[in-house]
Amino acid sequence: MEPPKIWREKRGKYLAMGVECLDCMTKQFPFTENCVKCGSENVNEYKLATTGKVLYFSTVTQTTEEMMGSTPYLIAIIELDDGIKITSQIVDCNLLEAKEGMNVRMVFRVLARNGSEGLIRYGYKFAPI
Amino acid sequence: MVKRNAFIIGTGITGFGENYEISAGKLASQALTRAIENSKITKESIQSTFIGSLVSGSNSQASIGANCLRESNLKTPYVRIEAGNASGAAAFHQAYLGLLSGIYDCLAVVGIEKLSDFVNVGIVERILSSTIDYQWEFEMGATLTSLYAILTKAHMREFKTTLEQLAKVPVKNHKNGVNNPIAQFRKEISIDRFLKAKRIADPIGKFDPATYCDGSAAVILASEEFILQNKDINSKVPILGSSYASDNLALHHRDSLTELYATKTAAATAYKMANIKPENINVAEVHDSYPIGEILAIEDLGFFEKGEGGRAVEEGLTDQNGQVSINTSGGLKARGDPFGATGIAQIIEITEQLRGEAGKRQIDSINYGLTQNVMGTGALTYVNILGEEEVKK
Repeated sequence: MEPPKIWREKRGKYLAMGVECLDCMTKQFPFTENCVKCGSENVNEYKLATTGKVLYFSTVTQTTEEMMGSTPYLIAIIELDDGIKITSQIVDCNLLEAKEGMNVRMVFRVLARNGSEGLIRYGYKFAPI
Repeated sequence: MVKRNAFIIGTGITGFGENYEISAGKLASQALTRAIENSKITKESIQSTFIGSLVSGSNSQASIGANCLRESNLKTPYVRIEAGNASGAAAFHQAYLGLLSGIYDCLAVVGIEKLSDFVNVGIVERILSSTIDYQWEFEMGATLTSLYAILTKAHMREFKTTLEQLAKVPVKNHKNGVNNPIAQFRKEISIDRFLKAKRIADPIGKFDPATYCDGSAAVILASEEFILQNKDINSKVPILGSSYASDNLALHHRDSLTELYATKTAAATAYKMANIKPENINVAEVHDSYPIGEILAIEDLGFFEKGEGGRAVEEGLTDQNGQVSINTSGGLKARGDPFGATGIAQIIEITEQLRGEAGKRQIDSINYGLTQNVMGTGALTYVNILGEEEVKK
């Protein structure tokens, strides 16, 4: 969790800013300088929809060291209302009540802590509506 | 069709498992030395060494080839090739291109990984996470296993594939692995053990993933001209097709979660190079790092219709001497998965089958064999097709 990297990714992870192509009108995430569909450089920063529904999810009980304290947790592929799909955690949700098709909204949370002295990494997660 | 001028003339492999007493360089050297002996050439004939490895080992040696060649008393140039879990097949493909270019006539390919050094919890999970989208999947909380869990759920939902059908994959592979002397686990496991195990990322259970381990595998490749000049070489297995293809790294960027596009694309090119069809393949080694991996593979390689993979495994069509024998070696599941060595171990199994040297694993009749080696959740796939052994007169 290097500070320059966290700083560089802040608009994507803190603000959920993607990109919209002004030529083919495709909305994409994460941000790229060129449209990944038509290659145009004529793109604008775009704020993702903050609500969507769960397409698939899994309950994770075995993970990497920095995430171990959070288990069990829900990881999901979510389709936002603007059609963009992203991978994120579902929080504030009873593990047994998570369902495919469930409506969720974007929330801002701690993603991981690097020990007791390292930086805290923040970003978006989703909670049931 | 590509000119048939690349042959496997020798193979060498170490036991797969935990080898605490041996370093990565030494382990790679053991496989390489065995391959040189097996091919009946002098080691001075090797013009270059291609090494496939994801992380090699914990000694942080980047150019692991240096250690391997010193241990082997060889002085060839070397290059380490990294393509995640498919590093072995990637090194093989690059060596194949080297031969076809006409610059080289005799090359060594070594796959190596030494993972038992990583004893702290979560380290190998982190290494594996470098093969998925690190920023937008892993850092958001996904693991390789949880993404395979999503691929499993997608297949179950779309095609009514059952957990029993999925569990039949490792059951079969463990049964095959019993007859493989280099396998990490030479023991059958009952279907109940899989079904009743704790879930680590539902629906994937504790015993479903292949286990990472130490191991090394090597092959020697040579051109027709080289083989003609070296009278001692007594076996040559032709490489008929070798291809690779990519897909979006993140699952959420893919159009479909019920197929591996890269596998389909790489296979289509490899079949075209070999000028054969999927139904001509008698035996295949596929990337069964998770049960769904094998089911997606046998569908996307064209052995079975899309959605029929689960049923095919259940009905025994992929058993040894079934419609197509899948993972006669025991696959990644029973043989163990030292990432960089896996792709080469797959090629060695098919070579042994084509030479008729697979012992109890030998299938009855064989013309063509195939290997499929996958990185991460399928962002990169390598497919190789080997043909009948040509014994030198």
